[in-house]
Amino acid sequence: MDVKRDILWRVYLTYILMIIGVLVILGKAFYIQQVEGKYWRSLSDSLRLKVVDIEAERGTIYSEDGQMLSTSIPQFDIYIDFNTEGLRAKNGQLFRTHVDSLAWHLSKLFKDESQAGYKRILQDGFKKKLRYYSFRKKVSYRDYQAMQEFPLIRMGRNKSGFIAEERSIRKNPYEMLAFRTIGLARDTFKVGLEMKYDSILKGVTGKRLMRKIAGGVLVPVSDQNDVEPQSGKDIITNLDVFIQEVTENALMDMLVQNQAEHGCAIVMEVKSGKIKAIANLGRNRDGSYSENFNYAINPSEPGSTFKLATLMALLEDRKIDLTQVVNLEGGSWQVGNRTVFDSERHGKNEVTIQQAFEFSSNVGMAKLISKHYGRQPSAYFQHLHRMRMDTLTGIDLLGERSPLIIKPGSKFWSGTTLPWMSFGYGLKISPLQTAMLYNAVANGGKMLRPYLVNTISEEGIVISTITPQVISEKICSKPTAEKLHQALVGACGSPGSTGYQLFKNVPYTVAGKTGTALVADGVRGYADKIYQSSFAGYFPAENPQYTIVVVIKNKPQAALFYGASVAGPVFKKIADRLYTSYVFGTAKATSISKLDSNQISFSGHKDDVTTLMRKLSLPVADQSGAAAEWITVQTLNKKSLLNRLSVNQNQVPILKGLGLKDAIYLCEEIGLQVKVSGRGKVVSQSLDPGTTVKKGNIIQLTLQP
Amino acid sequence: MKEEVQQIKDIAFAALNKEQILKRTHGDRMIWAIVLLLSLISILVVYSATGSLAYKYHKGNTSVYLFKQISFTLIGLMIIYFLHRINYTFFSRIATFLFWISIPLLLYTLFFGVKINEGSRWIRLPVIDMTIQTSDLAKLALFMYLSRLLSKKQDVIKDFKKGFLPVLWPVLLICACIMPANLSNALLTAATSMLLMFIGRVRFSHLFLTVLIAMIPVAIIISIAVLTYDPLETESAKKGKIEKLKSFGRVGTWVKRTQDFIYQSGESDPYQLQQAKIAIAKGGILMGLGPGNSEQRNFLPQAYNDFIYAIIIEEYGLIIGGGVALLYLVFLFRCINLFRRCPFAFGAFLAVALSFTLVIQAMANMAVNVNLVPVTGVTLPLISMGGSSFLFTCAAIGIILSVARNVEQLEGSETTHSMTKQNMPVV
Repeated sequence: MDVKRDILWRVYLTYILMIIGVLVILGKAFYIQQVEGKYWRSLSDSLRLKVVDIEAERGTIYSEDGQMLSTSIPQFDIYIDFNTEGLRAKNGQLFRTHVDSLAWHLSKLFKDESQAGYKRILQDGFKKKLRYYSFRKKVSYRDYQAMQEFPLIRMGRNKSGFIAEERSIRKNPYEMLAFRTIGLARDTFKVGLEMKYDSILKGVTGKRLMRKIAGGVLVPVSDQNDVEPQSGKDIITNLDVFIQEVTENALMDMLVQNQAEHGCAIVMEVKSGKIKAIANLGRNRDGSYSENFNYAINPSEPGSTFKLATLMALLEDRKIDLTQVVNLEGGSWQVGNRTVFDSERHGKNEVTIQQAFEFSSNVGMAKLISKHYGRQPSAYFQHLHRMRMDTLTGIDLLGERSPLIIKPGSKFWSGTTLPWMSFGYGLKISPLQTAMLYNAVANGGKMLRPYLVNTISEEGIVISTITPQVISEKICSKPTAEKLHQALVGACGSPGSTGYQLFKNVPYTVAGKTGTALVADGVRGYADKIYQSSFAGYFPAENPQYTIVVVIKNKPQAALFYGASVAGPVFKKIADRLYTSYVFGTAKATSISKLDSNQISFSGHKDDVTTLMRKLSLPVADQSGAAAEWITVQTLNKKSLLNRLSVNQNQVPILKGLGLKDAIYLCEEIGLQVKVSGRGKVVSQSLDPGTTVKKGNIIQLTLQP
Repeated sequence: MKEEVQQIKDIAFAALNKEQILKRTHGDRMIWAIVLLLSLISILVVYSATGSLAYKYHKGNTSVYLFKQISFTLIGLMIIYFLHRINYTFFSRIATFLFWISIPLLLYTLFFGVKINEGSRWIRLPVIDMTIQTSDLAKLALFMYLSRLLSKKQDVIKDFKKGFLPVLWPVLLICACIMPANLSNALLTAATSMLLMFIGRVRFSHLFLTVLIAMIPVAIIISIAVLTYDPLETESAKKGKIEKLKSFGRVGTWVKRTQDFIYQSGESDPYQLQQAKIAIAKGGILMGLGPGNSEQRNFLPQAYNDFIYAIIIEEYGLIIGGGVALLYLVFLFRCINLFRRCPFAFGAFLAVALSFTLVIQAMANMAVNVNLVPVTGVTLPLISMGGSSFLFTCAAIGIILSVARNVEQLEGSETTHSMTKQNMPVV
């Protein structure tokens, strides 16, 4: 037989086999599509994958002294998979053995059901083979840890079927304290700093691919997250818990006593513009007060505290001098069709301008402004513009509303606008703007922007620090500022001035101004006699440390409504506490400012520190937990706060504040070689805390006493 | 040697000139067309199927894999062009050399290779940092060597000692080296070799006997699979048992896969098979979901590689899927045509052996995709995402086209010398 032909028929035979093979393959594909198609397509829906967001841990908001103002704490939702193999193995032997004791423990922990009740819940779920039974939501970390020790649960997830899903909730440990300023961080609704710094606090949301299994339960496809979430950064505010507490309490006392509608109080550090405290309290329907609105950044008629601005304009333009005489016309003065009244009929005529300011004469201001700016009001408005009274303060808080100032040419402008404006009527500025203005006078004319957030940090490491920001080097000349200062001191110290009675017996001098404004109440106008009492000022006058502004809106027909008797006492109460705690003595004042930006802290071995503290019988607040071996000590309110210093294997610890011996011990234990310069305690380290360590790496430590 | 240097020079020169390349491109135009068409389909489908891969490793930058695939296609086409310019008799000489070099390479891979999916099948080439599956090289070498042996031994092929044994032992040697890491590949290679021997006129009785002996270990694995299978046993218990089996090398995996295949029923299919079937079910007969619209690519492991055929059906429908299969059959037919026309036995065998292996591999891949055979890790030639197997496929096609070019040249000279085919010696 011809060899080639012999081969050829074999080739063709094989070829035919190939064709048959292809036909069978296509036939099978056809079968999958047409016969089983419906099943497979339906299966695809139940096998869907889903990318699930993993919320990053939100950063914490701290006060300047290191207290948590708002933080995220973990909570756990507990689910039970009654179909877990371990639980059902050997006909549910494990479950049966432990269900009684587990129910007893659960009942003892949560106390809301009897042992029998929990047993019933567990047995019911077991009988129904529930795959994802929602056992309990919002279990605290402490309870969760306790549960980990319970019988059955301690055997782990695969045996017990107990699944804990962690979620974090936002907690303000100081609850109402500066609540409106700190804000809220709900999913849909954020306010305050939480809102303003949301992008920093939030971190980066992670992603994880989840596979849906029967019953719509999502399980992770792999053990690792596809996109790791990055924790949010922390922000450290200028708020000081102590000052905030004092401020809030002082304001609260007065509001309650006077049944006022609402009030706010701002404490600002003169030299930096840092907001040390900000309290906003409003009356609720049930008569209680809470931080319910940001009154401090909402404009209202300022009243007499605004006379400072008018006086500044007059002095700056050299129109007047404080010693010049002005005729108060006995307390009332007709302008066009309206009459200006002083707060009471005093019958005084010829007084100096300083005196007119001291007992807050409306007539005096109205006459001066009419005389000097009546023909060219724009010059006055230029001054207001220079004082930034017509714009926002620019504080790092959302929701600040624009001031309202009626200018010539406006349809609301009339012949009486300017005289009334001179004593703070017919315009609206926020209490914070008032604070900024008084602070500028305290600073000799330099205007600083008020700000709340001082530092942004990540895991204890400072990322960026916000420095004081000068809005204007000079809103008025130095001599003008000095004269204004003199007028303000007089307004609180001269006999007969509005603030005289209030500050008669205090050990420090106040430079400030009272204010009482009859405020319009919607449609009823000024008829309800609702007064807004305010006090703005700074102290100690000779070396200003803090500017404080208090604004309280009284209830209609309130018995007390004068600035000096409503807002003034709040100012005094705050100033008293600040003075005794921080300002007393100049030497201390400097160390105080150091405390503000630098927490006094050191670290060490726990046993050593506690022994030392006990020997010296110093008060100690231990928050480090029993397991802590190394701790950091912070001084707070004359107490030593002990916190745990975490020391992890293969990671550079935070060495700052440690003595040399301890620092070397810690470093060499994880294999680092230490090089040292200086003496005293560690102030900086060349390897950042949290860095992974390789044996033999060199770390450079700088020490300072 | 001189001639080859000249050839390389020619190629380099030709690269500068399109017209020159077209002029110098010879061989069966139909085969060229099929190669280009399959490469085009490959680029489209791989681009679509690597979507999830791109998301995973390149932040969703899908063009990375598009670029990679286009580069591989261009390199592949260059390999084909280069090899088809070489006189195929050169391959006869190199076949023996390649065969002998592939055995130590396989052994090296077995003991020191890179493990991907448990089996040690890959070695990493140092300079270009590419992993190659040495069995791909070994298979190509084996089939070239078989072509050489079969063409030489035609006179004595019916004789057991002189004809059959010399042809059989290289097959056994290579398969034995592949088997520990990749049983399915070894079986496929063995089966293809048997088929080539059948075409090469080896006695039926010899082949039958060989198959019978080879079936013994396979039968043992199947019987273990059947005997140890317990439909009611729990997942963890199953895992434990598999762990135990794994202590005997890869036997455990084989048993598990066989069990999966024998006892499959809808939901208990392995995950990738479920997903492949969903993909096939989603593409209709006439129309699929459309190019780039695959949904299953996100769920089907190896969608761009072992399971690309399912994606083709999902995106383009069953008709086009059948069309792809048809392309392989036409390719095979053209190669058989070459076999008929090639006057020299080695060239004829080479064309038919290499084309059959490619098509068998394609069919194996498709059969896995539609779950006709257990899951084996074979790629769809020319379509699966680039890699060493893609390049070896291109090499095989280059060799086939080299035969085609020689046949064309011979026929060209025949007509000028007015000689007829019948006058040419057969062997």
